Amino acid sequence: MAEHVILFAGPMGAGKTTAIRSLSEIDVVSTEAANSERHVVDKATTTVALDYGEITLGAEDKVRLYGVPGQKRFDFMWSILKKRARGMIMLINDDAPDAVQTMIDYLDDFSELYDQGGVVIGVSRTDLGVGPGLQAYTAALAEQRPQFIAPVFGVDPRDENHMRTVLMTLIANIEMRAMLAPAAEAAAP
Amino acid sequence: MTIALHQDPAAIEEGRAALAGMGEISPSMVYAALLTDDGFEIVHVTRIQTDATRFASMSSSIQALSDAVGHELRIGASDYVIIGSAQGHVIQMRVPGRPVVLAALFQSHETLGKALSTTRVTAERISHRFAASSVPAMAAPNF
Ligand SMILES: Nc1nc2c(ncn2[C@@H]2O[C@H](COP(=O)(O)OP(=O)(O)OP(=O)(O)O)[C@@H](O)[C@H]2O)c(=O)[nH]1
Ligand SMILES: [Mg+2]
Repeated sequence: MAEHVILFAGPMGAGKTTAIRSLSEIDVVSTEAANSERHVVDKATTTVALDYGEITLGAEDKVRLYGVPGQKRFDFMWSILKKRARGMIMLINDDAPDAVQTMIDYLDDFSELYDQGGVVIGVSRTDLGVGPGLQAYTAALAEQRPQFIAPVFGVDPRDENHMRTVLMTLIANIEMRAMLAPAAEAAAP
Repeated sequence: MTIALHQDPAAIEEGRAALAGMGEISPSMVYAALLTDDGFEIVHVTRIQTDATRFASMSSSIQALSDAVGHELRIGASDYVIIGSAQGHVIQMRVPGRPVVLAALFQSHETLGKALSTTRVTAERISHRFAASSVPAMAAPNF
C-alpha cells in the first residue's frame, strides 16, 4: 500500500480546513481558535497549528492530509509540516484581496513542495463572482513562474467529490514524476 | 464593530497590571505574555530578549495542539501545558471564560508547583479584572 503525505496550503479563508473535513474518513484533528480579526477575514475560527485527516483512494493509496494555518505569523508550522509532505494542494480564495499575487507569494513560500513531489492549484470561492477568475491564475503562473508546471482547477472545498478529483490528479502527477525522474537522471549526460 | 481584544486598551492595561503583579509574587518569572487564542499578543512583561510576536503565535499553536490531544484521549480540553527544560519551564493556561492564554517562563530553580499556582492565580485575576473593567467577551469558537 502506497502512502502519501499531502499538504494543504494557501491564505486564510481559502478553505484548507474545509477541504480536509470534506475528504477525511477519520475524525479530523483540528486546531481552530476564535478569529480575532473578523474585519480582515469574516469567519468565526482560524487554524493555529494544523489540520489532520486521512483518506484511502482505491484499495491502494493511503493519503495523510495536513492543513497549515494560512496566516503568515504561523510560518514556523509551515516549516515543520513542509518537511513531511510529498505534494501540495495550494488553495486560493478568488475573493481574496489581490488573489493572483497572493497565489504567487504562497507558491514561493512553499516551492520546496514542487521539488519534493508536485503541486496542484485550486481556486475556491469562484461562485461569489468577485475575483479575477481562473484564467487570470493560469496566465500569471505561465508568465511569472514558468518553472511551476501545475494544473489550476476551480474547486469548491465543501464538495467531497470535487476535492477527490483534485487529490487524485495530484497523486497521479506525483507518481508520474517519480517514475520519470530516474529515467531523466539516467538519460542525463 | 467591537474592537479586537489584543487592541482593546482596557484589556492591555488590566493584563499589564496582572502580569506585573505576577512578577512580584514570583521573582523567578522571567517572561509572561497574554495572548488571544489565535495568537495575537495582548501584552507581555519580560526580563529577557525574545521575539514576543513569534512567541505568542507559538503559544497559541501549543495550546490548540494540547486541546486536540485532550479531545483525542477524551479527557477534555487541556487545563494547563508545561514545557520543561534544564534551563527553565514554560507554563501556559487559558484565562477562565476567555479566549485568552497566559504563558509564562520561569527559571528552573522555581518549583513546578509554585510556578503552576502563580500562573493559575494570575489567570483567575485576569479573568476578574477583565470582567470588572467590562472587557467585552468574545464569542467562543463554534466547533
Ligand atoms: N461560497 C463558497 N464558500 C466556500 C468555498 N470554499 C470554502 N468556502 C467557505 O469559506 C470558508 C473557508 O474557511 P476555512 O476552511 O476555515 O479556511 P482555511 O483555509 O482553513 O483558513 P485558515 O485556517 O484561517 O488559514 C468556510 O466558511 C467555507 O465554508 C467556495 O468555493 N464557495
Ligand atoms: Mg484552516
